[in-house]
Amino acid sequence: MSLFRFLLLLVAVAPAFAAVPGAVVTTPQVRAELVAHAPEGVLPGKPLWLGLAIQHQPHWHTYWKNPGDSGMPTSLQWTLPAGVTAGDIQWPTPQKLPIGPLLNYGYEDQLLLPVALTVPAGFKADKLDITLHADWLVCKEVCIPESGEFAISVPARAATAGNAALFRATQAALPRPLPAAKASADLQGETLVVRVAGLPVAWQGKSLGFLPETAGVLQNIAEPAAAWNGGEWTAKLPVDPQRSAGPAVLPAVLTLPGQAAGLQVDVKIATAWPALAAPPPLPSLGDAVVTAPPPSPVGLFTALALALAGGLFLNLMPCVFPVLSLKVLGFAAQAHNRRALLAGGLAYLAGVVLSFVALASFLLVLRAGGEQLGWGFQLQSPAVVALLAALFTLIGLNLSGVFEFGSMCPHVWAAARARHPLADALLTGVLAVIVASPCTAPFMGASLGAALTLPTPQALLIFAMLGVGMALPYLLASAWPALARWLPRPGAWMAHFKALMAFPMFATVVWLVWVLGQQAGIDGAAALLAALVALAFVAWALGSPSLRRKARWGFGVASLVLFVVTLVWTLPALHETPASAAHAEAGWEPWSPARVAELAAQGRPVFVDFTAAWCVTCQVNKRTTLNRPEVQADFDRRSVVRLRADWTRRDAAITAELTRLGRSGVPVYALYAPGATGPKVLSEILSVGEMRKALAGLP
Amino acid sequence: MKRLFVPLLSALATGAALAAASIGQPAPAFTAVDTSGKVVSLADFKGKHVVLEWVNPGCPYVRKHYNSANMQATQSAATAKGVVWLSINSTSTDAYDYKAPADMAAWMRQQKAASTATLLDADGKVGRAYGARTTPHMYVIDPAGRLVYAGAIDSKATSNPADIQTATNYVNQAVTESLAGKAVSVATSQPYGCSVKYGSGA
Repeated sequence: MSLFRFLLLLVAVAPAFAAVPGAVVTTPQVRAELVAHAPEGVLPGKPLWLGLAIQHQPHWHTYWKNPGDSGMPTSLQWTLPAGVTAGDIQWPTPQKLPIGPLLNYGYEDQLLLPVALTVPAGFKADKLDITLHADWLVCKEVCIPESGEFAISVPARAATAGNAALFRATQAALPRPLPAAKASADLQGETLVVRVAGLPVAWQGKSLGFLPETAGVLQNIAEPAAAWNGGEWTAKLPVDPQRSAGPAVLPAVLTLPGQAAGLQVDVKIATAWPALAAPPPLPSLGDAVVTAPPPSPVGLFTALALALAGGLFLNLMPCVFPVLSLKVLGFAAQAHNRRALLAGGLAYLAGVVLSFVALASFLLVLRAGGEQLGWGFQLQSPAVVALLAALFTLIGLNLSGVFEFGSMCPHVWAAARARHPLADALLTGVLAVIVASPCTAPFMGASLGAALTLPTPQALLIFAMLGVGMALPYLLASAWPALARWLPRPGAWMAHFKALMAFPMFATVVWLVWVLGQQAGIDGAAALLAALVALAFVAWALGSPSLRRKARWGFGVASLVLFVVTLVWTLPALHETPASAAHAEAGWEPWSPARVAELAAQGRPVFVDFTAAWCVTCQVNKRTTLNRPEVQADFDRRSVVRLRADWTRRDAAITAELTRLGRSGVPVYALYAPGATGPKVLSEILSVGEMRKALAGLP
Repeated sequence: MKRLFVPLLSALATGAALAAASIGQPAPAFTAVDTSGKVVSLADFKGKHVVLEWVNPGCPYVRKHYNSANMQATQSAATAKGVVWLSINSTSTDAYDYKAPADMAAWMRQQKAASTATLLDADGKVGRAYGARTTPHMYVIDPAGRLVYAGAIDSKATSNPADIQTATNYVNQAVTESLAGKAVSVATSQPYGCSVKYGSGA
């Protein structure tokens, strides 16, 4: 035989003895190989196993079918010839791999994941071509998802047993099913109590591991609190508080240190698992637009300090200043009787504080009763505005000398005042508050409105502090009449000063007439002016010091008749006219909750200006900020829709919305960004910088 | 008795290492420092929906969702609706892939993440309080402060970005349902990813 023929023979025969070549994938972490075990060739009914053999680098691991707290099980996707089917992976008994407070189940070092194949009855091919796509996650300190493509060809009529030892060892490590075992469990609160009976004698009395095959049921890291009762093993297994499964049967593997193979049991869970769903949401707060949380409350002490400052400031208001200054000037004449003066001052303080508290209580009671009122409510009613205008007219006329109270009933009045100086001082305080009230809303509407939303005791305390601030100058002047000594000596200048003080009063009347005009139209304003003229006539007729008794009676009656006639003629005009469209400024739409919801649904940003004609802070903000060209340009650039909520007259919808925003006075500026859950409420004194910053923050 | 005692003791010891919040219960309060050094508390966001996202740039599953812009899209969709999104990194300082605050901030910026804040939890307190096991691990808290979702970001537990499109995004779903006032339909799911790299001290 020539050498050539010998070599040819060798080559021909060689495959019969060689191991079937398997595709190998090597990575820095593993060496993965597709191996086959077909000791009797590939024939129907004969054992045929394929498997992925993974040799891990030291300390690297892959995962079990239940990877535990993290990780991913190895997955195999076979491409097989027609009719050939592959079973599931036969997972060998895994190890527990703890990592800090977490636990995984997996494998290190040498691993084989065997899969049983079955060929159909009519299989006649002389080889089996198989390809495999495998994905595995291999981790040490970092995790690396890897995959490989493998292909082998298993000869049908030859034995493939090159990896027989590996397959045998793996077979020995597979969890052994225990048909004789009875495993059941019931759920007790957050613990699954498992009972397994029928375990092999060699296992009894030992500390066992419980590895659930289903993920998302138990807390993996927790060691079971287990006990043996004769041949029955009982374990209390904590349930995962965030469990994502609630199976009726929990397959599990019991392990014993030193045993390569665990025991496979199917634990039947008797108790029904509670529902996994989240609880129903809390009742929603209502309408389309969810409000922003109320602005963070100013500390109570800060609020009190602000109220005190506000009260002091009130003394400078045209409403209060004239009355106050004249009262203080009067002290100069009484400087010798300090105690009486101080008592008077305290009585004034009491009058002021009690009046403010009474006013606030009245408002709170009305609000509790469901009335939609906020601070500034007094100026929302044309009737109240008219009465205030009348009062200020009378005070102005009195100051300018048109009439004197004393002239009407000189003896009675003066005597009463002299006899009860304390009551006089108290009533002066009450009068001061009445006179001050229209001046509080314009400048302090928002802050007092915020006070109304606080708990009642705190709200009343704030109003009381406002009263203290307002009464403080008077009180100080009465306590230290020495201050009065700084004033010039009484003289003719006092009469001039008194007349001068009439003018701020009349200016206030003009402002009130304007407010009424906003509410009741030009006809209402003219009607009020007519009524005021008639009233002035009455005052002069009844109170002018220069008239003599007979003239007084004559003019008095005539003026009263005229007044009544005027009232009858003008009162109907003092009702509120419906909001006129002429109010709309260019670029501003009237506000309504429906419009806001509609614009929000369209994804447009919305800016709402809650304002009122009688609110001076609002008018100032309009002039200094909202109407500025750069702010208008910013509005246009962002396509912000501007809505105006006019609270000049009473409007329950606006009051309700203010309440939802945590306020009960104006001004309030709310910016609704598209997609936000609630509006951004800007500050009362709106600066250009703040407005532009808020607009820049829109998406 | 002794047989019961030791396992019981160890159960108490190890079980307590990862106390976890549960669905429907108040979400555990926490305070942490963000990448710019600001102190952030869960209480700061009372009255709003909050999403917690456990993140670790070193994990391929986190990168699956960031490189494909899926996480950023989920973040934007939520924050646009006024939801607060907190990305939390509980990687311990002695872990292989620990990132210093500046590096973490830079990575989030580079990824164009749309979260409200990125919190650093190197001592693992926040993670343990919530039972955070994987990165990513997602939690949704409703305005009343209750946990309404805990689990995976989506329904396909793979590292393949191509699976994102065909998966159900559980976070989007939970946020949308909760904002609409409905009960969350899938309140828990098995989270997938790399383990959170807590420190060696349990």
